[in-house]
Amino acid sequence: MRTRLALGAVGVAAGLYGALMLLDDGFSDLVSIVIWLAGGVVLHDFVLSPLTVLAGRLTPRLPSPTRAPVVVAVVVLTAITLLAIPVLGRFGASPGNATLLDRNYWAGWVGIVTLLAIGVLLASIVRAKRNANSGPA
Amino acid sequence: MNVRVPAESDFTSRLRSPAVAARIGVWLGISFGVCFVTGLISHYAQAPSQPVPFPTSPFWGYRVTQGLHIASGMAAIPLLLVKLWTVYPLLFRPIPRQVRALALDLLEKGSIAVLVSAAIFQLVTGLANSTQWYPWSFSFRATHYAMAWVVIGALVVHIAVKLPVIRDLLGADIDETSHDRPEAVDEGDLTRRGLVRTALFGSTLAVLATAGATVPWLRKVSVLGVTTGDGPGGVPINRTLVEAGIDEIAVGESYRLTVTYGDAEVVLTRDDLAAMTQHVVELPIACVEGWSATGTWGGVRMRDLLALVEAPAGSDVRVRSLQTRYAFGTSLLWSNFAEDDRTLLALELDGEPLSFDHGYPCRVIAPNRPGVRQTKWVERLEVL
Repeated sequence: MRTRLALGAVGVAAGLYGALMLLDDGFSDLVSIVIWLAGGVVLHDFVLSPLTVLAGRLTPRLPSPTRAPVVVAVVVLTAITLLAIPVLGRFGASPGNATLLDRNYWAGWVGIVTLLAIGVLLASIVRAKRNANSGPA
Repeated sequence: MNVRVPAESDFTSRLRSPAVAARIGVWLGISFGVCFVTGLISHYAQAPSQPVPFPTSPFWGYRVTQGLHIASGMAAIPLLLVKLWTVYPLLFRPIPRQVRALALDLLEKGSIAVLVSAAIFQLVTGLANSTQWYPWSFSFRATHYAMAWVVIGALVVHIAVKLPVIRDLLGADIDETSHDRPEAVDEGDLTRRGLVRTALFGSTLAVLATAGATVPWLRKVSVLGVTTGDGPGGVPINRTLVEAGIDEIAVGESYRLTVTYGDAEVVLTRDDLAAMTQHVVELPIACVEGWSATGTWGGVRMRDLLALVEAPAGSDVRVRSLQTRYAFGTSLLWSNFAEDDRTLLALELDGEPLSFDHGYPCRVIAPNRPGVRQTKWVERLEVL
């Protein structure tokens, strides 16, 4: 219990230190920070998470050997796609600078989707064969 | 299709278990820990005053710490998403009626709200910044730094609150159900171990897909990397001459470098600089946004320039640029950097005169220094 109280105190102190530094910002900056803080949680809890619940309802309709591979691929692809948004949109690109954001990111993304799809296909075949070998239950 | 607000008991997958959350939490804690420490290093390297001087060696130090900073942040994205998925039902936990229980419930939910919102904030703003995208009005560096303390503080509090559960579950098999919600019994499409591996697979892929911007042998693999590493002389560019608000005339025939120490002042043309003893060093530009690339730089030793005005040993130097836009138009070169043999006022990159965008006529290149401090288009060196 003593460890936990000490940890808790250290955590509260570090958090307050950060929060006080944030308060140094002007009012309009603080409003913007709060919007970004709340925005991330709202998008996650009320958009992304409900979508994962809906997606979860679809998997029983898939042939059983494909279910696990599809779930793995969808989870990974969701995360990769989210982190690819800034480069896919090239929002930070500067017209006079050809050395940054200098890839064809959509092609790269399609490449990742293709690799995952091949992985799903191979894993599904392996699992279907394994089920067939173990014979009818 | 029903659209009512779900109840905690509606979530029946046995994957949404504290046993899974604890294991992913360990990996997430490691990535946030690495991100925090490397972030502190980067912040200190850019600090306007440094009680303990930032070291000049190893020359690749900042390149590695900042590369790790971005990589650990990328790795955290899939981990955080899966971790939040496992604990999502708790958001719909019934609200207690008793005052004391209600207060505790609100306190816990409040601390989790701080942790989750600040963690998402850090990953989102850091991710956008690593691609030069600033869709907000607040100062990125100050805010990202302050919020890092909020995240790490809230994380430590979270660990303190959950410590008995974490100990229990990490000491037991992953399929242990003692801390599960009673409804969480449905077999999912994955095993619990499979879900943890999926999250780790996602993290690995996230790092491989982006780290080529700083790890040369990953360049071909990192299809989402912010740069291929190509650029004049094999080094990419962050800010161009035009973006920095400099007229080409200012870096042409009329260009002069002024070196001052007290009343002593020496004015040099680019030809004067080229006539001094030239040195060649191989050093990286390691950008604060995370990309890096090694260049072969040729130019005059900073020490030799300071000797022209008889600067005493141990002097710090203020470097002023022709740059009129963006921060970092001036930078401080601490005495240990100014005196290091490898610190040059570079005139050449890869055997060619610097391109305009790389800082023609001359720029600072020093070991173990954030890219924003490798000041370009230098017009004045003031010995302090």
